[in-house]
Amino acid sequence: MLALLRRFLISSWLVVVLLLFWWKVSANSESYFWPPLSQIASQFKTNWLFANVADDVLPSLKNLAVGYFIGAPLALFVGAHLGLSEIAQKIFSPLVNFFRSIPGVALVPIFIMLFGIGDQSRRVSIAVAVFFPTLIATIEAVRTSDAVLLDVSRSFRFSSFQSLWRVRVPSGAPMISSGLQVSLQVGFIVMIVSEMLGAFRGLGAFTVEAQQSFMIIDMWTGIIMLGILGYIFNVIFELIEKRALRWYRGQKGLTS
Amino acid sequence: MTHPMRTGARLELKDVTKTYTGHGADKHVLDHISCIVEPGEFLSIVGPSGVGKTTLLRLLTGLTPVTSGEILLDGKKVTSPPEDLAIVLQEYTRSLMPWLTVEKNIELPLKLKKIAKDERGERVQSAIIEVGLEGNGSRYPWQLSGGMQQRVAIARALASRPRILVMDEPFASVDAQTRLDLEDLVLKVRDDFGITTLLVTHDMDEAVYLADRVLVLTGKPAHVAAEIAVPLVYPRDQVETRAHPDFGHLRGEIYQLIRGKR
Ligand SMILES: Nc1ncnc2c1ncn2[C@@H]1O[C@H](COP(=O)(O)OP(=O)(O)OP(=O)(O)O)[C@@H](O)[C@H]1O
Ligand SMILES: [Mg+2]
Repeated sequence: MLALLRRFLISSWLVVVLLLFWWKVSANSESYFWPPLSQIASQFKTNWLFANVADDVLPSLKNLAVGYFIGAPLALFVGAHLGLSEIAQKIFSPLVNFFRSIPGVALVPIFIMLFGIGDQSRRVSIAVAVFFPTLIATIEAVRTSDAVLLDVSRSFRFSSFQSLWRVRVPSGAPMISSGLQVSLQVGFIVMIVSEMLGAFRGLGAFTVEAQQSFMIIDMWTGIIMLGILGYIFNVIFELIEKRALRWYRGQKGLTS
Repeated sequence: MTHPMRTGARLELKDVTKTYTGHGADKHVLDHISCIVEPGEFLSIVGPSGVGKTTLLRLLTGLTPVTSGEILLDGKKVTSPPEDLAIVLQEYTRSLMPWLTVEKNIELPLKLKKIAKDERGERVQSAIIEVGLEGNGSRYPWQLSGGMQQRVAIARALASRPRILVMDEPFASVDAQTRLDLEDLVLKVRDDFGITTLLVTHDMDEAVYLADRVLVLTGKPAHVAAEIAVPLVYPRDQVETRAHPDFGHLRGEIYQLIRGKR
């Protein structure tokens, strides 16, 4: 319990100090663009605890969830099979490398064109953007499976399907997991940007609209809300990863 | 004491030759190797480092194809790892699945063979007892010592009920005391199940201590320099057997063969 408290203090004191600093420095600010943090905080409470959550946060999160849970598993499936076959890799790698070098957010206009400015185009944009980091990590993880484990699989006569899902994918899980995490971050960015481009609601839309109509305090609350959400997602992801990959940390002799 | 619950398999190598091709010059590693291993027999394979012991083992387990010649297991040609064969590799740290517990590691091959759950459980438990790992079933491989990990690999091999067990320097990187324990474990397993057993080692003492017969490989490409029968009685004893005059003679003979041909 004490250890937990200590860990919390270690990882949060800097944030607290910076917030206090911001609070103090901005306290008497007359600048239009840098309002006092106290004002931002009280506006934040009005906006986000929890008045606009149902209108502007939940729909965004739903888009992210739909896009992520379509794009990432698909990438895992496709990547696992591509990683297995050298020929398939050779054929698809130019294509994969071309699309991965296009930033996910650059795809948004295309999908808006194709699917209109509704949630559908946002979900597709997110799914596509999320696809590539996980795909590339999975191909690499499956491709570089340990030769000894593969000999073991063969000696026990595992089918290639069995050795893919029972040996290659689990042994590559740490690498795949980094891909999944990058995908989540990319998905989050695309979620926001897709809303900045012509959405009527959602956090991205709220923030841009506030900025464009000079409601600077509202804009700040939107940005802070985005930061908090992104942070929470990362924390949740890492908690799940830590549990699922306990074996990996144990094997590497990592204690925390 | 033997309990022939199942009998060992008969292995026959006929004029087996291996040349690695690709990646530059061809490498002729094994030259016309012939040998018969009778059901239930314990054969050690020794030879200097790099002679082709692992290669021979990979051929006869069907992991690598032969260049010419034939390998027959109970009269059937080996082209891929056969059903009745189990392998224990040297790299114990890499041959177990680190994401599975000891029990799950042993169980995985049975599960993928669609063996019923009850029977799987029984087999896993009896394999754990056979190798002396009681109470460690729910630990992970990386929580175990090297010797214990190698026991898990042996248990996993046994649980699939092989009729022939093939091991590549399985004790090369464990400490001396553990090594003696594992040697005796392997002898006990052979005794308990009557499995045909092949063990590759570069340790001449170990080769003699364990085997009915020692196959000595030398030369580049490697050929069979000698097949040496070991007339020492079973059960063997780490102190008495090694002190026996015949043990010394056999050991010396093998030493000469390997040293002489270098
Ligand atoms: N896949 C391969 N391709 C080409 N050459 C190989 C390959 N595997 C092994 N060799 C070569 O074949 C020879 C025999 O190797 P092998 O591993 O069978 O020897 P070994 O007797 O097991 O040696 P050690 O005692 O060091 O384990 C070596 O010269 C090695 O370089
Ligand atoms: Mg070797």
